[in-house]
Amino acid sequence: MLLQVENLEVKYGNIQALHGISFHVNEGEIVTLIGANGAGKTTSLYSITRLPPPEAPRVIGGDIKFRGESILKTRPSDVVRKLHLALSPEGRRIFGNLSVMENLKLATYSRAKNADLDHEYERIFELFPRLKERRNQRSESLSGGEQQMLAVGRALMTGCKLLLLDEPSMGLAPVLKYELFRKLKQLNEEGMTILLVEQNANLALHLAHRGYVLDTGNIAAAGTSEELLGNPEVKKAYLGG
Amino acid sequence: MDFIIQNVLNALQWGSFYALIALGYTLVYGVLRLINFAHGDIFMVGAYIAFFVSGFLLGPVIGLSPAMAFAVTVPLTMALTSLVGVTLERIAYRPLRRKGAHRLYVVITALMCGLILEYSNLAVLGASRLKFPELIEKQIWHLGGVTLTNLKVLVIATAIVVFLFLQWVVTRTRVGMAMRAISYDKFAIPLMGIPSDNIIVFTFILGSGFAGLAGLLFAMSYPVLEPFMGMLIGWKAFIAAVVGGIGDIKGAFVGGFLLGFIEVGVVTVFPSTYRDLFAFTILLLILWMKPTGLFGMPQSTKI
Ligand SMILES: Nc1ncnc2c1ncn2[C@@H]1O[C@H](COP(=O)(O)OP(=O)(O)O)[C@@H](O)[C@H]1O
Ligand SMILES: [Mg+2]
Repeated sequence: MLLQVENLEVKYGNIQALHGISFHVNEGEIVTLIGANGAGKTTSLYSITRLPPPEAPRVIGGDIKFRGESILKTRPSDVVRKLHLALSPEGRRIFGNLSVMENLKLATYSRAKNADLDHEYERIFELFPRLKERRNQRSESLSGGEQQMLAVGRALMTGCKLLLLDEPSMGLAPVLKYELFRKLKQLNEEGMTILLVEQNANLALHLAHRGYVLDTGNIAAAGTSEELLGNPEVKKAYLGG
Repeated sequence: MDFIIQNVLNALQWGSFYALIALGYTLVYGVLRLINFAHGDIFMVGAYIAFFVSGFLLGPVIGLSPAMAFAVTVPLTMALTSLVGVTLERIAYRPLRRKGAHRLYVVITALMCGLILEYSNLAVLGASRLKFPELIEKQIWHLGGVTLTNLKVLVIATAIVVFLFLQWVVTRTRVGMAMRAISYDKFAIPLMGIPSDNIIVFTFILGSGFAGLAGLLFAMSYPVLEPFMGMLIGWKAFIAAVVGGIGDIKGAFVGGFLLGFIEVGVVTVFPSTYRDLFAFTILLLILWMKPTGLFGMPQSTKI
């Protein structure tokens, strides 16, 4: 097991956002966490990447293990540089005052000097050709879809082994959504493990191997994508009947 | 004509001092959204560090020649002044940041740190003024009616080199990119595997190091030191940074030189007692017309 979340309880101040949830991700999988707005999906991801205080959601119970070891004491930047876990956060949060290329370069900040970065930039540009065209543009000027691609590309450039994605389809036109999800599938086929958070349950379950349904801080259902797609309650609540 | 050139040179010299100090305000503001009101006193500390370092190097124990002493004093002063700046950040600002303190309290803390630097200097060294040693032999060139000193050239050249250096850092190096990025979205910095504190410390090293350099050059140009020498010049440099557009490196330099020109310009026409009144009034008018400063962006995209 690559990532293992066990009975995780998380609070913001006095408000409890997660009530002891458990899920795991195996190497090579795409796992999705689906659920309505406010269910606790983003909180789950932020708990894993350990935002710096004081914004950090506070873990008050349970554990998060990466390759079997607890990462609750790991510094936020070390989650990326030592554990090779990267998050493309909700709302993309690209550095709008930097160019596309600078955003990608910045993500390599903590990587070994001898890494073959040129090769990796090329790989990102193969995956997202639009980014190559716009590499010298200020990234604020990109469209929403391009910004999302940059956010994913930037996460990949950290040299991650596990990619966490928070609602990558948000705000994208359908065509772009499908294109992005095809790329995610391609990435996974090339060996990337992905934990995908989505409100768009249908799309997410068609991409993922397994999924968990999150409901107000609890796991309401879990199973393979086929199981969840066939589950009447999941269908009713999240797949539009 | 000579009169004008002479005054332009004077304006450039003063502008250089303001710019070298203003950049420290602007860098720290860009990265932390903190107005580091202790920065003027960091400049003062830099001048004193330069005094003691050069005194030690010239003294009987080491006995360097003034030129050699100067060459060693420059890096040593910058390094030690950086250390003071970084220490302030570690013991005063970082703990507040960790606790998520409101910006108001951090600014008050900065003001207090400045006062503590001033009064600890007063307490330790007393109120007597110190005379700064002559490190480089003064050369005066007469070009027509214009007199030019090697020191003046050195000050102006330093400001230009520092400007080019900072531009290079911010646009060409990854740590410089991180400085720009942190000013846009500090939250996303750790997600890139970058420890935010490292970037903040680097920013304080740059700002304080150049304040130390300014302190050294200032002491060489006006060789009398006193504990409150950083106060007024610090305020002026801060205002210059704001007028240029705080957070923007170009703005700090433009604002600094602008202030230098305004001051020297006023004095050529009016009695020198009018200098600060006029200078501040003009700066106020500029801010009135463009509240974000000359190069300032309306929102959070700085440096
Ligand atoms: N910074 C915060 N402070 C307080 N409560 C928060 C904060 N962020 C999220 N919450 C609360 O935690 C719960 C889960 O939110 P979130 O993880 O963002 O849900 P999702 O990503 O599934 O939409 C919600 O009830 C939300 O109001
Ligand atoms: Mg969310």
